[in-house]
Amino acid sequence: MPKILLIEDIPDNVELIHRALSQTGFEISYADDAETGMAMALKTMPDLILLDLGLPDYDGQTLASWLRQEERLSKTKIVVMSAWPEEAVRQVVESYQCDGYIMKPIVKLSAFISQVRSYLEK
Amino acid sequence: MLPVNQSAVIQLIPANQYTFEQLADIYNQTRIDYIVPMPMNATRLAEYVETYDVSLEHSLVAKLANGEMLGVIMLGVRAKRVWITRLGVIPNNRRLGIGKALFNGALEQAQKLSINFCTLEVIKNNIPAHQMFLKFGFREVGELLVLRRSPLLTKNISLPANIQSFDKPQALAYLNHHPVVQAWTNQYESFLNSHEVAGFYATLEDGSRGWMAYQRQKFLLSRFVFHTEAGDPTKVALALLTHLHQQYPRLDTHVENIHSNNPHLPAFYEVGYIEAFRRIEMWHGEFTG
Repeated sequence: MPKILLIEDIPDNVELIHRALSQTGFEISYADDAETGMAMALKTMPDLILLDLGLPDYDGQTLASWLRQEERLSKTKIVVMSAWPEEAVRQVVESYQCDGYIMKPIVKLSAFISQVRSYLEK
Repeated sequence: MLPVNQSAVIQLIPANQYTFEQLADIYNQTRIDYIVPMPMNATRLAEYVETYDVSLEHSLVAKLANGEMLGVIMLGVRAKRVWITRLGVIPNNRRLGIGKALFNGALEQAQKLSINFCTLEVIKNNIPAHQMFLKFGFREVGELLVLRRSPLLTKNISLPANIQSFDKPQALAYLNHHPVVQAWTNQYESFLNSHEVAGFYATLEDGSRGWMAYQRQKFLLSRFVFHTEAGDPTKVALALLTHLHQQYPRLDTHVENIHSNNPHLPAFYEVGYIEAFRRIEMWHGEFTG
């Protein structure tokens, strides 16, 4: 069963994403800030991290840089989630060596689940 | 949450009557629909208050008599100047005059302190806020850049230079005599209040020389100020930045509020910085130093 770590601080978004992904059989864990997210990533060794860029302690870019420099997580895919302008998100993905992005807000849950699946299969 | 009735009485309460948890919660609610929300937890907010000399006694929370939170504004207070920051109204209650009430309240707090010089920054393209500040008599004094550099970049640039490290007291001594008025976040007091402040002094072969002060946090480099004493500012900054990133190759970098006309700016782009967004710096009154 694929393991997904969701790092997101807005409870409504957590609930929505959790509801969507829990129907798919993925094993989901969750952290609401960067330091907890890093600790959870090392503990759960997820297949994929869904990373919000706006976190309340360190932001998503800084967290992505820690995650990418952690050898134990070299096989973990990092997918950024953001409402920033798409070009800015692309730039973050490239600069911080993430695997892709999903734009917020999440409008269609089925499309969101398909995006997550496709990143897991890449 | 229902929108505020236009006739409801807005109460402005000093922010020191709230805990950092409560203030962080109000602040985060005001930013929840921002494209770049920049949320804060209570710890970060407490650091922010300390670093930027925010006076919670003179900062305000807007609420209704029934306790419903509407928004917040914070006031940084330093010698002869104040800084308006963290202004926000919870989305459902916007366009009802709450932002204006908070802003007016903050300016009244400045008057009570007998301070006539006020600064703020507004994100470029936040037209409603920008327009409101202009109506209150603020004027644009420049653009400020927020820059990022990923540590995962592999740019191998180096410039031969003699580099000397210095510690916080020396950094403060340099900053205290810096000839350029910095944005609030990069002023002497912000460094004074920050931990892990240090700097480098560079002397180049062509005689160019200058220094940089910076803050090194656990996972992040931030808060840069540069000064070139002689020669080419771009070369000086390039030597200093390459040395900094060689010293801390694993740290992410987030630099705020570099003036768009800063002569050291080309060096940032050369070592891989990208522009995240811009702010407009606005002043009210005259800076008297």
